Amino acid sequence: MRLPSPATVRWGLLVLLLVLWEGLPQTGLVPELFLPSLSKTLVALWAQREEYFDALLVTLSEVGIAMLIACGAGILTGALVGGIVTLRKLMLPVFSSLYAVPIVILYPIFTAWFGIGSESKIAFAGIYGFFPVMLSTAAGIRTIDPQYILAARSMGATLPQQIARVIIPASIPTVLTGLRLGGALTIIGVVVSEMLTSSAGIGYLVSRYRTILDSAHVFAAILMILLLSILFDLLARAVERRTLVWQTAGRQSRPGAAGSSPAVPAPAPV
Amino acid sequence: MSAIEVDRLSHVYSGAEGGVPALQDISLSVEPGKFVVIVGPSGCGKTSLLMMLAGLRHQSSGTILCDGRPITAPDPSRVGVVFQEASLFPWLTSLDNTEFPLALRGTPRAERRRRAEEMLNLVGLKGFGARYPHELSGGMKQRVSIARGLVQDPPVLLMDEPFAALDEQTRMTMGHELLRIWSKTRKTVVFITHSLTEAVYLADEVLVMSPRPGRIIDRITIDLPRPRTYEMMATDTFGKLRERIWQQIRKPE
Ligand SMILES: Nc1ncnc2c1ncn2[C@@H]1O[C@H](COP(=O)(O)OP(=O)(O)OP(=O)(O)O)[C@@H](O)[C@H]1O
Ligand SMILES: [Mg+2]
Repeated sequence: MRLPSPATVRWGLLVLLLVLWEGLPQTGLVPELFLPSLSKTLVALWAQREEYFDALLVTLSEVGIAMLIACGAGILTGALVGGIVTLRKLMLPVFSSLYAVPIVILYPIFTAWFGIGSESKIAFAGIYGFFPVMLSTAAGIRTIDPQYILAARSMGATLPQQIARVIIPASIPTVLTGLRLGGALTIIGVVVSEMLTSSAGIGYLVSRYRTILDSAHVFAAILMILLLSILFDLLARAVERRTLVWQTAGRQSRPGAAGSSPAVPAPAPV
Repeated sequence: MSAIEVDRLSHVYSGAEGGVPALQDISLSVEPGKFVVIVGPSGCGKTSLLMMLAGLRHQSSGTILCDGRPITAPDPSRVGVVFQEASLFPWLTSLDNTEFPLALRGTPRAERRRRAEEMLNLVGLKGFGARYPHELSGGMKQRVSIARGLVQDPPVLLMDEPFAALDEQTRMTMGHELLRIWSKTRKTVVFITHSLTEAVYLADEVLVMSPRPGRIIDRITIDLPRPRTYEMMATDTFGKLRERIWQQIRKPE
């Protein structure tokens, strides 16, 4: 028997999940309080659509600004730490250990400093997303094949030219991976901080409806967060694919890997 | 005037215990248009010497003249370099890789294109300009790398084991191709290899280096007629020249 393709399996799983979501509460196997059915959730979402839409705008703007901060500061610091040996030796161990700290414990301090409005969410999520961006940028620059730099120098590249034409393009793959991870963490950071202390945003809706035991509305908010994260991930992957034609293709045509190298029109030079 | 003139060049790599002497008192001179091959045991300093000829590393002492002027920094208008790994940039197509040196100098785009296409044609890659390096075979990559080295039309081309990573057959073809390109462009070539057959097949003159610290211990003129053919490899003269180089390399100190 032939195995179904991974895409078929993925879609099958999704459909199954949605069917279970609708079916389990309907049949009474799971109480509606724990899991309101899909249809009830959608109805609740539609009924309060303006409230959800406003909350989404708040969350999106916080996420947007936090991502800008995380990416900007992350790439800049990462480039410095990855590119300058002394800085790397001094700072990289510090940053790496900080990354392991659950920064969420610092959130109360952030609210003390920035209030419970958007600023504290942006600051918290910005820092949360900063680390993966910074660390992967540093790694991306550090692991550039020195042969590329040597070749560029032999062709007369000045230092700024080496940076613009070799170091940046060569580190883009790793940096993009960091941006995808950092972006996802930024979304988590904003939603979590909204759930903890706030008066607006989707995370706030989750915790407010939970306190009044309105499961349908809680799940409606959760559904929105899910969609938001998935959309971001799809977007980030699309950007990666577009930018990295050479890289992804290179992986595939490596010996032993699936997929063969492109056909060469005969007679091909060796 | 010689294309390359090296005078009493020595080099010591700084390190533990006062440093590693890598090259000792190297003097050599290469006439314009000659094909010179350097052979020597692993670690004798061939790559180091080539890096200095390319201006990529400073020697401890001695001078290098190219076209009558000293080499102190990379100068792609005088010296083109081809490395063992083709070291093409994977994010650029063959054409963009080939015109990279021109782009660095701000040559206008149309002119760049024209030169790069011309070079790709010369190395036998007409129509492959849009390919990325991962879409090329090892031999084709080295062809692009040669095209890139020649694109600024430098009088001197330095090659550090350019075909070492290729399989035997491709390597032979590439050697033959290189001679064809060389006879069309009449560059001065300095070529490093571990293959004695390749050395005799390609060279006008073979320089043999001693184990570290590298010195030049023999110069062997290869007086086989040109154009060279594969059949020559089976001749007595070819075998004797090969044998003579081998004797020099394995000679105990
Ligand atoms: N950057 C460096 N620092 C210190 N020592 C070095 C450096 N580069 C090379 N060496 C040493 O100098 C010597 C010559 O090295 P080089 O790479 O020039 O040899 P080679 O003749 O090209 O060897 P191979 O045939 O294996 O390529 C070696 O002993 C090597 O260990
Ligand atoms: Mg070497």
